[in-house]
Amino acid sequence: MIRLENVTKIYNGQVTALRDATFDIAKGEFVFLVGPSGSGKSTLLRMMNRQERPEKGAVWVAGRNINEMPDSKVPHLRRNIGNIFQDYKLLLNKTVHENVAFALEVIGRPKHVIRQQVPAVMDLVGLAGKQDRFPHQLSGGEQQRVSIARAFVNRPLILLADEPTGNLDPGTGEGIMRLLDRINKTGTTVVMATHDQRIVNMMRKRVIQMDRGIIVRDQARGVYE
Amino acid sequence: MLSRVGYIFRETWASLRRNVTLTVAAILTSAVSLFLVGGTFLVQRGFDNLLSKWSGGVQMIVYVNYSATPEQVDAIKQVIESNPTVVDVKKLDYLDYDRSLAEAKRLLAGDPGTFALLNKNNLPTEFKVVPMPGKTDVLVGLADGFDGLPKVERVVLARDQVQQISKLRNFVQTVTVGLSVLLLVGALILIWTTIRTAMFARRREIEVMKLVGATNWFIRIPFMLEGLIQGLIGGLLSCAFLVFFNRLWTNGVVQLQGENSFTALVVSDSFLNFVMLMVVIFGMVAGAIASGVAASRFLDV
Repeated sequence: MIRLENVTKIYNGQVTALRDATFDIAKGEFVFLVGPSGSGKSTLLRMMNRQERPEKGAVWVAGRNINEMPDSKVPHLRRNIGNIFQDYKLLLNKTVHENVAFALEVIGRPKHVIRQQVPAVMDLVGLAGKQDRFPHQLSGGEQQRVSIARAFVNRPLILLADEPTGNLDPGTGEGIMRLLDRINKTGTTVVMATHDQRIVNMMRKRVIQMDRGIIVRDQARGVYE
Repeated sequence: MLSRVGYIFRETWASLRRNVTLTVAAILTSAVSLFLVGGTFLVQRGFDNLLSKWSGGVQMIVYVNYSATPEQVDAIKQVIESNPTVVDVKKLDYLDYDRSLAEAKRLLAGDPGTFALLNKNNLPTEFKVVPMPGKTDVLVGLADGFDGLPKVERVVLARDQVQQISKLRNFVQTVTVGLSVLLLVGALILIWTTIRTAMFARRREIEVMKLVGATNWFIRIPFMLEGLIQGLIGGLLSCAFLVFFNRLWTNGVVQLQGENSFTALVVSDSFLNFVMLMVVIFGMVAGAIASGVAASRFLDV
């Protein structure tokens, strides 16, 4: 599903954020990217939906080399990739329902599809009945659920999560992880950057560990260390 | 498709309202600059009308009384042609009744009342005289002689009218073109700033849109529509100005009617309509393009 070949990313010609990264992620896998801040986890994620392009190497997503993809095709690539962030990135002037519907609206999905898919995904993330609240009326965990709903409403092949539990207390974070696990079980590939040791150890999934831009460990059913 | 159209209009409207001050500034500046652009065209057209009967190097017009017989007209022609070193005989042109009437119709566009009074029993026909190169002064010396011929009504010289009008025309042209270019640049900068501010206010939204896979065009179109609407409103306002000042101008010129040649300064309604249409289209296109470029410039969030 995702394949990186000798990917190197250098910012401003001097800071090496990634060096010679190579790995494969199969369809339906759940992968943790771990490592301290600045180790290149976020850069890796941003490579996978072409928010960044590498100086060297190739990034393959769903069988296509996305660095050689023309700009006009990038929106279609991104429709197959959901994104979740530490700070949720919700639109504060829109209700929960509008936030989720927005993702479908701006890619031109017809109204009847939106009417059908938004309530379904709200049920999935456990927010049924809160569609008309605004983000500031929700707890942090609930806001992250909205952002997961927005990322998943279009049924993407891949979900990229950048520190999704970073702002949440442990109990709430575990709830989010259970939700991501359920989404993964539907066949969606999940790649999650985190430095939340407890969660990585609890889930026992594949772990790719980064240190100063270099992959230092790639272990199936790994722990944080 | 329909939900997209709905989305685009909602976003455009919301954005226009969010930036009221900048929007109003952009609209007013574009209105004033478009007014000057349109006004330049109208003024030039007026001067061109006024000068058109002198076009092609004509330096002298000999007006012939309507009652002259073909033989008498021919006699006048022979006298004029008898100075082949002074008069460029090949370019000598005689406007018979029909052509004189056609010319009068053009020159009197602003004064249909006067035009309606013209007929075969009062409209003079005319000889348009072009001098040989460098012989203008000699030609002027011949004017009195031509004036004395039977059935010649009067002889009019270009140098009395044309030179002053040309000077005035060039002056007005420089001022209006200069001002309108300056103001157009100002209007475009304001539209640019409006769009940039609007995009900054919505950068989070745009970021989300890009991440969920909205196309750049989809993001850009509401902004372009916003610029287009600003240009459209500016253009319509400038049309109101144009109509108002054109009316003032026409009334003023008609007051001067004693010397009938000045009525040529008035432009026809069809030309005014044409200029207004151009100004509105130009405003819309310029607004849309400026904001489209501004939007692209700030799309890399």
